[in-house]
Amino acid sequence: MDSVQREALAERVLSLSTADETEVTIGTEDADLTRFTHEEIHQNVARSDAGISVRAILGQRTGTASTNLLDDASLRATVDRAIAIATLAPADPEIAPLPSGGPTTTPKGAYVKATAGASPQLRAGMADAIFKVAESHGFWCAGFARTQSAGYTIVNSNGARASFDGTDSGINVKMNAADSTGYGQAYSPDARTLDAREVANTAAGKAKNSAQPRAVEPGEWTVIMEPAAFGEFFAYLGQHFSAQAYDEGSSFLSDGLDKSYFSENVTITDDYSHPLAPSMPFDFEGQPKQRLKLVDAGIAKSIVTDSYWAKKLGRENTGHALPAPNAYGPQAIDLVVSPGSKSIAELIAETKRGLLISRFWYIRTVDQKKAIVTGMTRDGTFLIENGKVAGGVRNMRFNQSIITALGKCEFSNAQQRTGDYWFSLVVPAARIDGFTFSSGTQF
Amino acid sequence: MSFDDLAARALDTAGTRGAEYADVRFEVVRSERIETRNGVVTTLSDGASRGYGMRALFGGAWGFAASSDLTPAGIDRTAARAVEIAKAGAAIARHRLASAPLRAYVDTFATPMERDPADVPLGERVALLLRAEKALHVSPKISVGRAWIDLWHTDKTFYSTLGSRIEQSIRQTGGGIEALAVGDGDVQTRTFPGDIGLYKSGGWEIIEEAKLDQNAQRIGEEAEALLDAEQCPSGTRDIILGGSQVSLQIHESCGHPAELDRVMGWEANFSGVSFLEIAQLGNLRYGSDIVTICIDNTLPQGMATVGYDDEGTKSGSSDIIRDGMLVGYEMSNDTARAIGRESNACVRAQSWEFVPMIRMCNLNLLPGNVPFDGLFDGVKDGIYMESNRSWSIDDHRLNFQFGCEIAWEIKNGKRGKLLKNPTYAGMTPQFWNSCDAIADEKSWSPGEPPTAAKANRCRPAAPRSALRRRAFATCKSG
Repeated sequence: MDSVQREALAERVLSLSTADETEVTIGTEDADLTRFTHEEIHQNVARSDAGISVRAILGQRTGTASTNLLDDASLRATVDRAIAIATLAPADPEIAPLPSGGPTTTPKGAYVKATAGASPQLRAGMADAIFKVAESHGFWCAGFARTQSAGYTIVNSNGARASFDGTDSGINVKMNAADSTGYGQAYSPDARTLDAREVANTAAGKAKNSAQPRAVEPGEWTVIMEPAAFGEFFAYLGQHFSAQAYDEGSSFLSDGLDKSYFSENVTITDDYSHPLAPSMPFDFEGQPKQRLKLVDAGIAKSIVTDSYWAKKLGRENTGHALPAPNAYGPQAIDLVVSPGSKSIAELIAETKRGLLISRFWYIRTVDQKKAIVTGMTRDGTFLIENGKVAGGVRNMRFNQSIITALGKCEFSNAQQRTGDYWFSLVVPAARIDGFTFSSGTQF
Repeated sequence: MSFDDLAARALDTAGTRGAEYADVRFEVVRSERIETRNGVVTTLSDGASRGYGMRALFGGAWGFAASSDLTPAGIDRTAARAVEIAKAGAAIARHRLASAPLRAYVDTFATPMERDPADVPLGERVALLLRAEKALHVSPKISVGRAWIDLWHTDKTFYSTLGSRIEQSIRQTGGGIEALAVGDGDVQTRTFPGDIGLYKSGGWEIIEEAKLDQNAQRIGEEAEALLDAEQCPSGTRDIILGGSQVSLQIHESCGHPAELDRVMGWEANFSGVSFLEIAQLGNLRYGSDIVTICIDNTLPQGMATVGYDDEGTKSGSSDIIRDGMLVGYEMSNDTARAIGRESNACVRAQSWEFVPMIRMCNLNLLPGNVPFDGLFDGVKDGIYMESNRSWSIDDHRLNFQFGCEIAWEIKNGKRGKLLKNPTYAGMTPQFWNSCDAIADEKSWSPGEPPTAAKANRCRPAAPRSALRRRAFATCKSG
């Protein structure tokens, strides 16, 4: 279903509603994934779906209903159900009117036709190239190649009209040697730009160079996180910029904006138009998204809002609503950390003794307000001695406040789109002093 | 067209395109959620989704395609796509991993249910949540109170070219409450029941069993008290874990590592591998001899209780850990065949649009012989912890660190003062080999939160998808 068809369908559904205010959201998705292990494709899947969600508001009462049954009777029944639920819902005196929207421009490169039309043979070809690299090293590999396209149309009775089509693709490779592993990844809206062999070679190089890993003592270390690792670590700070977390007191920002929390090296924006991760220029209420500076040279400058939290806190609606209803409030989902001035090689060369980290695993929050998280290193952890990478080390567990870490950090001069999340992350590599490891593991 | 007619068309199309075997699973899913937050109903939603997922086998490779397009043309396209995908995989195959299931069944299954949630008026459901959530607010320090109910109803029909036709009606119900206390720069959370609510297969009786409103005031009081509680001390101590935390411990340190696809490296790049290697089957001492962990997908009210899994294998029970020894895995057809066994029906798809794969099912630590209060006997200096707050484990499932919402010190066999931010860490085999008591069946119950993504003397550390766990007995490690 293209945007013209979605818009026509949305208008038709909107016309069925007798509610005081109505919002109609249509989402379509075609997602293809090829997973492999031991030089064999073991999961090779494709899915296609289109769904519609109706939010009906009667005075101060709201009801939501959704369906992927798109025949006339089902659409009418969905509208009727949303209204019926709203009729029964208790009144919310803080309810905000639906936003009226505004003009938006889809960032260049967000939709690539070749990605949307990618075949299973294309993904198998990527897998085969990766297999050949593994075989040339005597390793075995596991990973995936994926391509997908999605479309959203949001209309409401207050005039908001917004449509977006986007694509994405990714390769993820883990190379497995006798006593070591290595990781590589690449993501892009344009599947033609993904170089499977290069990603595989990166992963194989890490597996090779981290062979016979030695155990090192836990404690405080200077660490250099490659973008994949830093992105996983940093991602746990994203929810702190939500107006909901800010208001309820669970965010470190609840202590106040316009205060210095981090090193002056730290500048964080929420930018849907970044060329590495072009995304939807409006939120899930159809409100145009602002490109926001959240942190400027270490000083917290902004939180993100949607219509409800903007009204509740008396702030501007920044256009960061998630699909309604949700328990999370508005979220910054296009996070960008600004780069520094040195290459990652220079950061390594300046480090007398430290650890180079390729990737983390299973990071979870230990203390919400202090943003303390724990997790494990994975798939390529190296000792740095006298400015040089000096072999692999066994994996370790860290317990570390993200806020504290960003107080003593320096970034590389090159950013990467990283992570395979429902939100977007563009980050550089990071060097962080005094990073705390609490224990080791057996591999 | 009926599902029977659509299935016949899909399987016929797949065969015509060259599939050596095919199956198709139609699902109609209804999901309702109600959530209240600080006196306001923030979510009152009702979702309906219908579609089908189809597997095709060609040349030792699987292809899977899913669609919500139930027109004859849509069926034809999806079936052809599944076969095309299988052929693309087969074209570069070095080995032949996949093969057809062994058996066909014609059967039906329906979740037993005492009271259909549809018979409970919406106003009554909302009133229960508002009442429970209001009772959480015992002080202005309770910044956020939340209460929620989830009602899931899935009708699915599975067909295969072997002749299976399995019709299942599955009902799952859950709910919970949570209090967030904020004060003096600290934030503390208490959740009930367990750490994510009570989720089981069944109807409204699950919500009644949860007793949300009867427990809300206590939960609010505990959240507030935690703000002023002492920090859990660091060091090596005996620990006793409450039932919901034991469920998390089992989930992460036994459930996930015993998934045979993970053991075989099928999840290596993503959710990791496992220390429970095939060569150790029958030989590895996983835990002390009082530790027996089994799968039972026929368990009444078990969250994963169904008649058949999503490969069409009949549900049953089997041991993973028996008397402390590794004796089995959670298996699919393909993985079981690789070790000379048959599937134990542990394959689930998240919904119609996802490929079926090994998922943790009803995984049970069998009860011991110690009354709950007896667990404290003989513990001179220990910590009792309840309700998970944080969980992390390495990608071989060895080094873990889990945090709980609340703890109490244990001095000379008695529960003492309240402690906050309890965390314990260790290595999986050492932990389970130091388990020296498990509570009896009076404190054992099935329960499965909706998310899961898988003792020695443990060290409480100073400072807390997926995602399925089960509530069980309480165990003591020391």
